[in-house]
Amino acid sequence: MLIPVLVGVAFVIFVLLYLTPGDPARIILGTQSTPETVKALRAEMGLDDPFIVQFGRYLFNVFFRGDLGRTYVTKTLVTDEIMSAFPQTLKLAFWSVLLLSAVGIPVGIVSAIKQYSLLDNAVMLLAMIATAMPVFWLGLLLILLFSVHLGWFPSSGFDTPMSMVLPCVAVATPSMAVVVRMTRSSMLEVIRQDYIRTARAKGQKESVIILRHALINALIPIITIIGLQFGVALGGAVLTESVFSIHGLGRLMVDGIKMRDYPLVQGGVLYTAFAFSVVNLFVDILYAYVDPRIKAQYQRAGGTKRTAPSR
Amino acid sequence: MKKVLALAFTIVCIAAGTAFAASDTLIVGYEYDATNFDPHQTSDIGSQNIMVQIYDPLMKVNEKGELVPHLAERVEELANLTYKFTLRKGVKFHNGETLKASDVKFTFLRAINEGKAINYVVSNIDPDGITIIDDYTFTVKIKQPDASFLAYMAHYGGACILSEKAVKAAGADYGVRPVGTGPYRFVSWTKGDKIVLERNDDYWGEKAKIKNVVVRPITEATNRTIELETGGVDLAFSIQPLDLGRIEGNPKLKILRNKDTGVYTIGMNTERKPLNDIRVRQAISLAIDAAALNKAVYRGIGSVGRTVIPPTIPYYDTTAPEHEYDPERAKKLLDEAGYADGFKLILVSNENKERIDTMTIAQNMLKKIGIDSEIQVIEWGVYLDKLVQGDYDLCTGGWSCSIFDPDEAVYGQYHSSEIDNGYNWVRLRDEQTDKLIEDGRSNTDQAKRAEIYKALQLRIRELYPVVVTQVGEELIGMKANLKGVSQNALQIFDLAEAYFE
Amino acid sequence: MSLFSTPGPAGVGEDCADDSRLRDFAAVFFRNRMAKAGIFILAVLIVSAVFAPLIAPYEYDEQDLLATLEWPSREHIFGTDEFGRDIFSRVVYASRISVMVGIVSVTIGIFFGGLLGAAAGFYGGAADDVVMRCIDVLLAIPAILFAIAIAASLGPGLFNMVLAVGISSIPYYARILRGSVLSIREQEFIEASRAVGSSNIRILFRHVIPNCLAPIIVQGTLGVADGILYAAALSFIGLGIQPPTPEWGGMLSGGRSFIRDYSYMTLFPGLAIVITILALNFVGDALRDALDPKLRDR
Repeated sequence: MLIPVLVGVAFVIFVLLYLTPGDPARIILGTQSTPETVKALRAEMGLDDPFIVQFGRYLFNVFFRGDLGRTYVTKTLVTDEIMSAFPQTLKLAFWSVLLLSAVGIPVGIVSAIKQYSLLDNAVMLLAMIATAMPVFWLGLLLILLFSVHLGWFPSSGFDTPMSMVLPCVAVATPSMAVVVRMTRSSMLEVIRQDYIRTARAKGQKESVIILRHALINALIPIITIIGLQFGVALGGAVLTESVFSIHGLGRLMVDGIKMRDYPLVQGGVLYTAFAFSVVNLFVDILYAYVDPRIKAQYQRAGGTKRTAPSR
Repeated sequence: MKKVLALAFTIVCIAAGTAFAASDTLIVGYEYDATNFDPHQTSDIGSQNIMVQIYDPLMKVNEKGELVPHLAERVEELANLTYKFTLRKGVKFHNGETLKASDVKFTFLRAINEGKAINYVVSNIDPDGITIIDDYTFTVKIKQPDASFLAYMAHYGGACILSEKAVKAAGADYGVRPVGTGPYRFVSWTKGDKIVLERNDDYWGEKAKIKNVVVRPITEATNRTIELETGGVDLAFSIQPLDLGRIEGNPKLKILRNKDTGVYTIGMNTERKPLNDIRVRQAISLAIDAAALNKAVYRGIGSVGRTVIPPTIPYYDTTAPEHEYDPERAKKLLDEAGYADGFKLILVSNENKERIDTMTIAQNMLKKIGIDSEIQVIEWGVYLDKLVQGDYDLCTGGWSCSIFDPDEAVYGQYHSSEIDNGYNWVRLRDEQTDKLIEDGRSNTDQAKRAEIYKALQLRIRELYPVVVTQVGEELIGMKANLKGVSQNALQIFDLAEAYFE
Repeated sequence: MSLFSTPGPAGVGEDCADDSRLRDFAAVFFRNRMAKAGIFILAVLIVSAVFAPLIAPYEYDEQDLLATLEWPSREHIFGTDEFGRDIFSRVVYASRISVMVGIVSVTIGIFFGGLLGAAAGFYGGAADDVVMRCIDVLLAIPAILFAIAIAASLGPGLFNMVLAVGISSIPYYARILRGSVLSIREQEFIEASRAVGSSNIRILFRHVIPNCLAPIIVQGTLGVADGILYAAALSFIGLGIQPPTPEWGGMLSGGRSFIRDYSYMTLFPGLAIVITILALNFVGDALRDALDPKLRDR
């Protein structure tokens, strides 16, 4: 199932780039080159070939030779280019997802237990505000407060633990709000179930009830959301990377689009789609692990449960 | 307990502080990341500024602005458009190879055949006219008389000399495994993060003072200043004018102001109605308050331009008058031309903030003399296409020189042969201008050239193809104890003489 | 709002929205304090968009190069930008763009996505497979990147930006609609309708689609918020609308280099976005609660 999706992705992005105005050859050569050299370079890059020839050549190289090609601008292998940006993206995705789970789930649980309390209302309002924040604005505010005024964290870069704090917070905050709300509602649903009442009646300790009985069962939708966030973050947090000058996948591809670096954009998008599909697969597996019912269902139907990113 | 902790903390801080001060590493914050380090494949200043540390060209412009031999020891101009170069002996590439005439020949041929990005640097060299006499002597024949040929041999990108062996060994990866003869050798490049260079201890000339150089690409101007203030970098290029006062007011920092060769213009499509009427072009020029524009866009950094050749390039016309601002006269001119009711124009700009700002302000100023306009901000690649095709009314242009010769500043932009397929975006078709540009290029006599270029600048001013809005100046911020950093007007920086006091 | 006049054709089964359901809905919806606040904010937004020229004290492109970068004062309550333009006026005018982008892009997304999803879900079989595989493909591309690529290929400009945001949202709506249609298709009243000989098209448009309206309305409201955020993001990276037209995301991006000394330049447009999105989310949540009895009283 993965290969057809990837071919489809390659096709979509190929069409989009093909329709995009602007001549890569001219951009590469810059302002001080002659028109003849531009023409020659276009021919050399195969840009004058018909669409179907270009696309066929690309598919052949990718799927039969495993070759994503070389970038137009740096002349390096697209694979190298992606691999140079991927660690930053992975780090950002990993730490921000860790952060949002570590904060979001407990807060959601507390909020559910104390439903309609002042605390719950405050948390819900904050969560609402956090989802409404454009991530680039949040990033700018964080820089303004913590780098410029307080001087606690650097405003750019992504190599030291200190420099990773602000970008991770910026990426994590809006999704954290989603996780808080999801945890809360999922917990509320579970807490009303009969078996929880039974556990209470049996005199179980409240903490055991919450953690052992309720949380485990409330976990499935939470895992979905967290998995999705991870998948989306792997696609590159374009805006966060731009605000904090991080060399990650998202910025790599946006720069690629601006420079009309077709192989880079195509390779980047394909890679992202691949990573995204793999993450989805893991989420599915994790599902089955957490919920025996789904495992059974899978065994019955060989099912194809799929998830997609929230926008 | 608290006290102990505090003490420990202080010790750590001091230790860290001293480690930093004693460090033999210069960290540079730069606006651009490199694209690659193959001089024949790149034409962007971000890469060239790194390559200039790694490579040497045959010629060089010294601090006084004179063209002097560099990797070449001696240059003689023979008859028949032939130049004879004698190379320095004992120059070693970073891979240990000795520089020979064969490397130079290899380099030139490679530049001519594959170097599309820097073709203009070597395009006048006759590929069959490079003759090796011995390991250290060779002659080069050029196709046409060209006063700027030797100046091009000092080009910081296209004229760098490569090692034949290293190029062949690296193959397609040469761009990320560069080998030169320069004061620094290439160590590593983590794209978007840092470029690491190390002193070349076998350098043939005076060796660099600082052992390691790390160049960090930091795109956002605000972030560069913050990093400089917080000690993340020792040196930061392209400080934004807004931050000038902040750095000047900081005793730990200082600023270096460097006038560059950037000339920024509002270009007019001289073939399109109504701009084909010279009175309309003059009216537009008169409507633009260049001084106010400069103040608003550049916060008073740089200066309002007077002519199309920058003041930092030879033969700049020092007698050129200041830009004239007179909206009343502009209106009269429009009246005369029969456009009393105004008309509508398309203003185009690429995504550069200063240029968009220039157009935003120009739009307002044009409105005051009755010209309506619409701004289109277009990505660089598409923008170039539009300009070449002449599909616009007013455009923002910027031109920086890569050598110290005025020919480069005028030929591409104003010679009629460059319409439709070159850089004559304003589509200026004027015999007198063409003639003067050609004479300036082929004449080698200095006094004569001065005369020609003066006449040329006057002629272009009379035709109003552009409004010169700004002559560039770069602000370079650095630690107060950092000395010896220099940057020439071509915006190429020299780190070899930098040292911490 | 069309919301309160859901088409109620006399038909089979539960697809007619009768009075009692409507009243029930309104009661739940307006009991929610947040929904009230959200509606109020949106009303203010729409009024300011419609009457921008009357509300804004200055023209959005009126420059004063002698009064640049002024902090908020009595003349300029949100201060002035680097061209001496009144930021308050620009924020007000920008609400027009945001309202427009939000509504139009969602309409595009719902119309095309809805049609695709409904057809796929309703007809099933090969049609469903083809549509779903296409949607899988589009969903595998990160949404923001997809929007950026479309915006780049269409070129800059307000209309193209709206189109880019709208197109990139199509697969999401298609997926949601397909799910709803699938669940409705199996219900008894569809069977009944089929039994009396209604044509497929008739069943789809008379019975199935009206019954999917609840999730569409909820998603649409939240989608407007997404549309506004996406437009702001596109403007922020420079693929948005052309100067001097103000747009909140573009204003944020323009104020970036001034953030240290003139933070008000990024503060006000940012607040405008947050408040608008917040209001839309309040309303969206309340609508979901009101329209979906299962979620009520959570």
